[in-house]
Amino acid sequence: MANDLVLDTAIRDWVLVPLSLVMVLIGILRHFVSKFLRSTNTPDLKAIKESQLVVRARYLRGAANFIPEKAFKSRRHFYNNEENGLLHVPKSQAQNMQAQMFSDPNMAMDMMKKNLSMIVPQTLTFAWVNFFFSGFVAAKIPFPLTQRFRPMLQNGIDLSSVDVSYVSSRSWYFLNLFGLRGFFSLILGEENATDDTQKMMQMGGQMGGFGVDPSKTLSAEKDGLELVQHSWALPKLEEEAESILRDILST
Amino acid sequence: MESAATRSHFEKLESKVDEGVGNVIEWLALVRRFKLRRSEKVTTHGCALLRDSSLRRKLGSEVWTVYEQVAIAAMDCQCLDVSKMCIEVLIAKFPNSARVGRLEGMLYEAKGQWQQAETKYQTLLELQPSDAFAYKRKVAIAKAQGNLGAAIEALKQYLDTFMADQEAWRELAEIYIALQKYSQAAFCYEELILMETANATWHLMYAEVQYTLGGLENLRIARKYYASAIKLSAGKNLRSLYGLCMCSAVLSQTKGRAKDEEGTELQSLASSVIMKKYKEKCPNKARLVTSFLEKQKL
Repeated sequence: MANDLVLDTAIRDWVLVPLSLVMVLIGILRHFVSKFLRSTNTPDLKAIKESQLVVRARYLRGAANFIPEKAFKSRRHFYNNEENGLLHVPKSQAQNMQAQMFSDPNMAMDMMKKNLSMIVPQTLTFAWVNFFFSGFVAAKIPFPLTQRFRPMLQNGIDLSSVDVSYVSSRSWYFLNLFGLRGFFSLILGEENATDDTQKMMQMGGQMGGFGVDPSKTLSAEKDGLELVQHSWALPKLEEEAESILRDILST
Repeated sequence: MESAATRSHFEKLESKVDEGVGNVIEWLALVRRFKLRRSEKVTTHGCALLRDSSLRRKLGSEVWTVYEQVAIAAMDCQCLDVSKMCIEVLIAKFPNSARVGRLEGMLYEAKGQWQQAETKYQTLLELQPSDAFAYKRKVAIAKAQGNLGAAIEALKQYLDTFMADQEAWRELAEIYIALQKYSQAAFCYEELILMETANATWHLMYAEVQYTLGGLENLRIARKYYASAIKLSAGKNLRSLYGLCMCSAVLSQTKGRAKDEEGTELQSLASSVIMKKYKEKCPNKARLVTSFLEKQKL
């Protein structure tokens, strides 16, 4: 019975096509607006130092067995000692850092700009779609799908009797939102601002400081380093080198 | 895979450009992309391109990148007037750009005006303290003047912040070796080994530094690292084989420690591998090598 559902061509002309068109146009607009708003972000020297420090400490943790024990211990002491070790963050300073972060106006400004180019248009278009096109069945995909796809394709329609291959307008909006990335990279070049996932990842990286303060990463790294058991890998290597040389000789 | 294809495309394009028929714009872009040093060709072709106003228009906004590229290439060829011209165009377009500032500094360097270059980089650093490029150039200035001590200081200052930079550690190690500060160099190589555990070169260099330092303990460490360099290079690195032979020879000469039997085993294996290689690749020198290795065994 659901198969009998016939979609009006007016729906195609007045819902499906305009919706896609608007999504594309908004994407392009956002690209240019964010290009306009993008601040040359000048990374803080201290932040760089901290991230590099974590990287270096991670190398030490991962490859501890490749250097002599003495070298490892002196490095660990250098990172972890209680007086001036690089990974050691005094307690009072740790709290300070967080407070500093929140009061940093640059950070807030950056956040706001990101919001402007990302969240605001999304909310607006969503509201617009919701207001004008709620409850439309906008399209039908030409192949059958299982029930699991219902929340993805028929968002906004609470009818279990409609076949899953029908797409509601709100779902069409979501599909466009996430599916147009490839199209944007075609028309706007690889590095366009519409790439939300990338942006979110970036945000995760940068804002890593916002929720979790860097002193936590530092002290986590410190604990990890403290736990490393040093067992030199090289004594075994001598035998392996011998066997390799034997192989060369025997061939 | 994709880059291998573009690479072969690039080589074809380059031969065409040399004949004067290829697409210079595309060639320049590929040179930039692969970070190649084709300074002479870039200067000649780039200059010809930039002189032609219709071609310049064709470049669009890419023209500034080409100006930058040609400026650097021209410095490399000591065509300082060409480079100066390019930089002047860039300054007119981007008066306050740090990127153009770097070019200015490099031009001073190319002219040998170290003091001006130094002040230029210093101002860049004041504007943007996290400018790794300016730090590195300062090291280069000190090195170019032959002032290795200052180079070390500058590098230390750089590494204090950018401590995960492999190239910088390597540079520092090499400078320390030049100054015969071997234990400091050893530290740098340890750092490099930590960053790239599978790179035979670092193991080899570390072994050599330890060998040079001498002393029983260091020699033992050296031999182990020679062994690991042999392992990582699958016995193909002749330098590490020789090193192992020398190192074991010294160790066996050290009196009172006769229990290094596995070491002598490894040494004889290494020397026979060296012999084998010489017999395969260079038979007329094999005799010389034999006598040298025999001497080591004694």
